[in-house]
Amino acid sequence: MVTISPTNEAEIAEAVREAADKGTCFEIVSGRTKREFGRPVSADTILDVSALSGIVKYEPEELVLTARAGTPIAMIESALAEKKQMLGFEPADWGPLFQAGTGRATLGGTVATNACGARRVKAGAVRDHVIGCRFVNGKGEAIKAGGHVIKNVTGFDLSRLMCGAFGTLGVLTEITVRVTPQPERVAAVEIDCGPETGLNLMREAARLPLDASGLSYVLSDNGGTALIRVEGTNAAVAQKLAELQKQFANHETKVQDEGTTQKSFRAVSGASDFLEIATDIWRLCVPPANAYDALTACGIALGKFWYADWAGGLLWLGLPGDEKTAKCLREVTARFGGHATLMRASSQARERLAVFEPETPARAEITRSVKAAFDPKRVLNPARMFKDI
Amino acid sequence: MTTLPPPDPVTLGRRNEIARALRDIVPDGVIGDEATLTAFDCDALTAYRQRPLLCVLPENAEQISTVLAYAHRENVRIVPRGAGTSLSGGALPLADSILLGMSRMSRILELDYENRCAVVQPGVTNASVTRAVQARGFYYAPDPSSQIACTIGGNVAENSGGIHCLKYGLTTQNLMGVELVLMNGERLRLGGKHAGDGGLDLLSVVCGSEGMLGVVTEATLRILPRPPVTRTLLIAFDTVRAAGETVAAIIAAGIIPAALEFMDRRCIEAVEAFCAPHYPVGAEAILIGEIDGMPAEVADDARRITEIASSCGAVSTRDCVDEAERVRVWSGRKAAFGAMGRLEPDMLCMDGTIPRKALPDVLDRISELSEHYGLVCCNVFHAGDGNLHPLIVFDCMKPGALERAEAFGADILKLCVAKGGVLTGEHGVGVEKKALMGEMFSDIDLAQQERLKCAFDGQGLLNPGKVFPTLHACVELGRMHVQGGRLPFANLPRM
Repeated sequence: MVTISPTNEAEIAEAVREAADKGTCFEIVSGRTKREFGRPVSADTILDVSALSGIVKYEPEELVLTARAGTPIAMIESALAEKKQMLGFEPADWGPLFQAGTGRATLGGTVATNACGARRVKAGAVRDHVIGCRFVNGKGEAIKAGGHVIKNVTGFDLSRLMCGAFGTLGVLTEITVRVTPQPERVAAVEIDCGPETGLNLMREAARLPLDASGLSYVLSDNGGTALIRVEGTNAAVAQKLAELQKQFANHETKVQDEGTTQKSFRAVSGASDFLEIATDIWRLCVPPANAYDALTACGIALGKFWYADWAGGLLWLGLPGDEKTAKCLREVTARFGGHATLMRASSQARERLAVFEPETPARAEITRSVKAAFDPKRVLNPARMFKDI
Repeated sequence: MTTLPPPDPVTLGRRNEIARALRDIVPDGVIGDEATLTAFDCDALTAYRQRPLLCVLPENAEQISTVLAYAHRENVRIVPRGAGTSLSGGALPLADSILLGMSRMSRILELDYENRCAVVQPGVTNASVTRAVQARGFYYAPDPSSQIACTIGGNVAENSGGIHCLKYGLTTQNLMGVELVLMNGERLRLGGKHAGDGGLDLLSVVCGSEGMLGVVTEATLRILPRPPVTRTLLIAFDTVRAAGETVAAIIAAGIIPAALEFMDRRCIEAVEAFCAPHYPVGAEAILIGEIDGMPAEVADDARRITEIASSCGAVSTRDCVDEAERVRVWSGRKAAFGAMGRLEPDMLCMDGTIPRKALPDVLDRISELSEHYGLVCCNVFHAGDGNLHPLIVFDCMKPGALERAEAFGADILKLCVAKGGVLTGEHGVGVEKKALMGEMFSDIDLAQQERLKCAFDGQGLLNPGKVFPTLHACVELGRMHVQGGRLPFANLPRM
């Protein structure tokens, strides 16, 4: 396949215009860490935007950063760290899951796939941090959306719509995010317990006014462990840890130090427990209170290959990408609400099965209309999310 | 002045027939007499008034769906309305429109503490959500100043903010799901009690779409456990610049206050005369800072903010330890609009957002403009997130005063955009600011937003005449042929 590597937005716009005229299409790539996520795209040409790299503007006292879409997340994080700031959505590095190495993910890909980590439970998803962007739509027009300030309701919020759209609506060229001060200290309480207890514990912790920044349950050799992460000033973290230990006094609690906490949650966000296991992966989002029911409905509560994040709102499942599993998981989402995504599987499976939750007819019609509003000729990542968009 | 799409004479002529059809759908909820309709002729942007053709007050989503499907079939415009507190004319009726009032859909459907959410109908007021959950130690974070009256449906439409946005986000960050009725009557669920959605994040664009994409019939809201401690600091400055520097320094130190409000001297004086919150006499500016969280964290932050303020030149810092004092300090801030309202009969409240660092320059320029236009303007400001609320007072009865006030307001908003900010931080574009959209967006940017509108409402029947400077038919947008980045209609005159 041919690859083109434009170096600026105007070149992208021209390439897209040309493709729209000729009736050809693009697969959009940047860090190439998540090409295997979503339905396979059979495009004529690869549009590589990694040359659009670099931080355009960073104003720490405004809590705002603008960078080109191809800027590596690692580069952004190190610039932020110098000013004791960070990306509040805790970008998830899923590169290793797809044998694409670590530290190569870019801002554009992270935004397009909504790749946020454990901190979502406190701070929201990627879209809650994106305040503006520039993109090229499927007609080859360069569009500005949103702005550079945190509080803005001027016009339709197109920049949030770009988050998690997998490049099907536009080629992101520049993104503005709000950034977050790094907390003085981060620590976690770990409690060894079974799955049902663990899932209950997380929701109980979520109801405490401790503003927990991670609520995960991971399986271990001796059963499972609930991880409750808190952050703040040194004194605040000490108080929060004490409060958790008091609240869960009938369990054995252990405090993880900063280094261990970071390691634990990097593993949770990046799903690194699945690295050693050659298995397909599903991500199941349900109302947290239904997490255990959802697991038992699929007969996996006692199995080995799953863990929970976002207080049980996200279940990572090491289950096969086959019809039987798809059917079971989608019965679960029909029953409890939510959605199941086939995160990792062979391209044949991702072609055959619905990777993203199938939509109701009314919603599918809106999705098609929205696609047509941005990319009427289906030039950009055709069929990446749904067969006909 | 703004203009609205001209009424369709055919629709105007069919008034009785439309009223009958609506009565078939909502037997006891159709208002047709002109006196009562006058009550719906404006929202909180009272400079613009227009009686609707008819008003319908449905009781459930089923009726809303039937009303919209009827209007869609019969090509009649719909204007949704919550409590009518919009400051941008978002609920301003059109002469040929059916006003869809949500006041009867005001039930809280479910409080789900396990999933930390509340499911409510759109006519529920913002404040009543918190009231419903506070006994269990929870609250709903977005708190627009009209929160006693404004409804959740309106909050979703406008992506409403409030004073706690920097730390807790706008409505969009606290909205987990909606049930939506599209203009053709189709019902759709977006999001819910679970995280995110499987496909495109349509919820994120429905929130803040000013009632132009669909009618919200149910909302799932995130509720939060109330922080154990809240503390308020009142800091006085003898220069505006010192106050601005303090704001920047607090943020740069890594502190995210729950609220950080700024008032200038003119505003302080008006408020003091109005309700005597005991603000420091003679101060050029004050900051009201609020911090919440664990006791140790709040104590740390209070100390650090006090130190930062004094190193930036604060004249005094008062730490409101007792609740009564805290309430009094906030009462002044919340009474700012009312206090200004006593100076002159009419008021325009602007709503631009600027990068915080531009604050001193922007305030200097506003006072120059104030002299130029001969109109009093005072400034309250959500300093934490850079959201300005200059209040321009005037007397509508004086010839040319409204025009001058609007020109003054437009100059302020243009200034905000020129300084890297935006036209509106929380009030919405509505009819008030639509003519200024070109300051921020090119015709191509706006056409893309309009095409999104068309994807939801191809006939342009839902709340038309808002947000966009020129009203395009969808078919026209679809056919727009762009050559070298230029639109064929780039030189059309603007309203």
